[in-house]
Amino acid sequence: MSGLIRQAAVIARRDFLAVVATPTFLMFLLAPLFMIGFGIVGGSGATQVAASSEQSTRIAIIATEADARALKETDARMRVLFKRAEHAPPKLAIIPPHADQAIMAKALFASKKTDYAAVLYGTLERPTILQDNRSQGAAQYLAEIAEQTLRDRRGSIAFHDHLSRATLVTIAPVASSLRGKQAAGYVAVFGIFILTLFLAGQAVGMLAEEKSNKVIEILAAAVPLEAVFLGKLVGMFGVATLFVSFWGVLGAVALSFAPAGVLTALQPAVGMPVFMLLCACYFATAYMLLGAVFLGVGSLAATMREIQMLSLPITVFQIGMFGLSSSAAANPGSKIARFAEIFPFSSPFAMAARAATDSALFPHVLALLWQALWVAITIGVAARLFRIGVLKTGVGPRAFIGRRLSRAKSI
Amino acid sequence: MTDDTPVWASGLTKMFGKAHAVRGVDLNVPKGSIYGVLGPNGAGKTTTLRMLLGIIDPDTGQRRLLGETSPRKASHRVGYLPEERGLYPSMKAREAIAFMGALRGLDWNEGRKRAGVMMERAGLGAATDKKIKHMSKGMAQLVQLLGSIVHMPELIVLDEPFSGLDPVNQEHLEALILAERDRGATILFSTHVMGHAERLCDRLSIIAGGLVRFEGTVADARGVLPMRAHYVPCAGGDAVAKLLPADAEHIGAGWRFTVPEGGAEKLLLSLIKAGHGIEGLSMERPGLHDAFVRIVGAAKVEDAEMMS
Repeated sequence: MSGLIRQAAVIARRDFLAVVATPTFLMFLLAPLFMIGFGIVGGSGATQVAASSEQSTRIAIIATEADARALKETDARMRVLFKRAEHAPPKLAIIPPHADQAIMAKALFASKKTDYAAVLYGTLERPTILQDNRSQGAAQYLAEIAEQTLRDRRGSIAFHDHLSRATLVTIAPVASSLRGKQAAGYVAVFGIFILTLFLAGQAVGMLAEEKSNKVIEILAAAVPLEAVFLGKLVGMFGVATLFVSFWGVLGAVALSFAPAGVLTALQPAVGMPVFMLLCACYFATAYMLLGAVFLGVGSLAATMREIQMLSLPITVFQIGMFGLSSSAAANPGSKIARFAEIFPFSSPFAMAARAATDSALFPHVLALLWQALWVAITIGVAARLFRIGVLKTGVGPRAFIGRRLSRAKSI
Repeated sequence: MTDDTPVWASGLTKMFGKAHAVRGVDLNVPKGSIYGVLGPNGAGKTTTLRMLLGIIDPDTGQRRLLGETSPRKASHRVGYLPEERGLYPSMKAREAIAFMGALRGLDWNEGRKRAGVMMERAGLGAATDKKIKHMSKGMAQLVQLLGSIVHMPELIVLDEPFSGLDPVNQEHLEALILAERDRGATILFSTHVMGHAERLCDRLSIIAGGLVRFEGTVADARGVLPMRAHYVPCAGGDAVAKLLPADAEHIGAGWRFTVPEGGAEKLLLSLIKAGHGIEGLSMERPGLHDAFVRIVGAAKVEDAEMMS
């Protein structure tokens, strides 16, 4: 028995040291931190989107300059009541009338830059308040501003006497709301991220089989390594597409039973069909881009253990891209959004978010070409690294640049 | 080198880290021949073949494969059996052969058809739908060889093709190589088993320490060593030794010695005149094995001298 334990201890010692005495173990050790980071990034992304859309929502009163000051004062006084409330009314905008007020009010709802939750126009005694079907509280708040402003003007009035009698008109949204666009953007970023997290990460061990059973020698002799890498990626992308299609169909069936508001809340700027198509394209490029990185890194691993350990930094990398793209979704048009759209490995996510908030299609053509170029570059680099690291041929980056320079000099 | 020389290389070198794997290999494989690359373990045979095929690039030197300076361009006209055998274990034998053909540009369906016929001929007819993982090592190796020739390549490169095969399968493989040569293919193979080289090769190179130490036919290689004679005198006892060359060894009733450069006639005449007579005489041609040992041994001495 003691012999058995001693032998087991020998095995245990080797396995323990084989795992612990590697740099990648540090990444493994810090895994909980990454998980926490994942939660923070995901949560803050969603919060940023929510906060951003909250900030961009307004309520408006179409009023003359004479009324504007009093209305603002009333708003400021009433807003104090909501200071600690979770759902404060959106900021008030006073818009001077310059045309038919009813037409102006409807035009505000069609604005692409700002979401208006409710718009009041007409006299304060008999105002009309336009609201869409999601902003009941905002309309009531505007009605109360009109009431309180009149009370201030007229001095002490019995509490039960209403001075303002508002007519509430609910209208269907004529344009997609900014909130709906950003929500669609965030859903796209999160959806593509989750799918690539599940699926592209598998690419890390894709060459392990070929390396372990020596098929790589047959492949490397018959076809260029770039073709091997691309073929592997496309094959696995086929598997991923099958996976997504299967769950997509099930999800669509499930959504058909969901309340009507669930889908109508998502209002991408390019329209839902084009948005879905673009998301599919960006999923493809995200998969190919990140898959190529993981395939390249994984192909250099000598053992399955190394591959397992590598999966963690890979997850961290993906989370980083997700965090960047979430920020882009929360701040469309910002510098960080532009950076995320251009940086190749976050570009698919950020451009999907852009499709939700910007109706222009041409940037997507450019982005897809840009991402395809980077897929090619990444595969090329991965193949080069494999040649150097595994096949022990080719030259490293320094020597490569040196050779190019000396060739250029000789020319 | 002529335009239709299937394999040509000049001054190929390759270093792995600080170690010289190949130090300047020249090769010229005639069309339609069976060409052997012989050498001890670690001589640089596999590295040379991999450089010729474009799996790895040489550090210096030039190569031409089927007229192409970039070996990749000739890939579909080449068949290759690597030293380390590799097949997908869960693939069926027929599929594995078709897959390897498809990698070299053969239509997959055509590959399947040919695989069936080839396996039947090779005595593996019953195993066409067997998974590789359920086959013996020898069978799997034969499947891989069939996969490397299913697209009927002009050039077949085999790295240590006989290793791991039992004598029966080795014989099958030799027959297959000869059949491919008869079809018109050029065969380049590496080995350190002299018997196969002796039976198959039209020409050969012996590589040692990353350099070609010999190039020629099997007969040329054997010619590197002088003939040996085994002589049994009728009488004379130890007095015979005085007439024999200095390296003569007394073995049983006879003597074994190197035949002098001018031939054995003069020596035999002197033995007869001295009254020793000839009871038995046999001439022994040195084998490729002996020549190989001599050439490789000399190379080692040469390298050691250079190092010192």
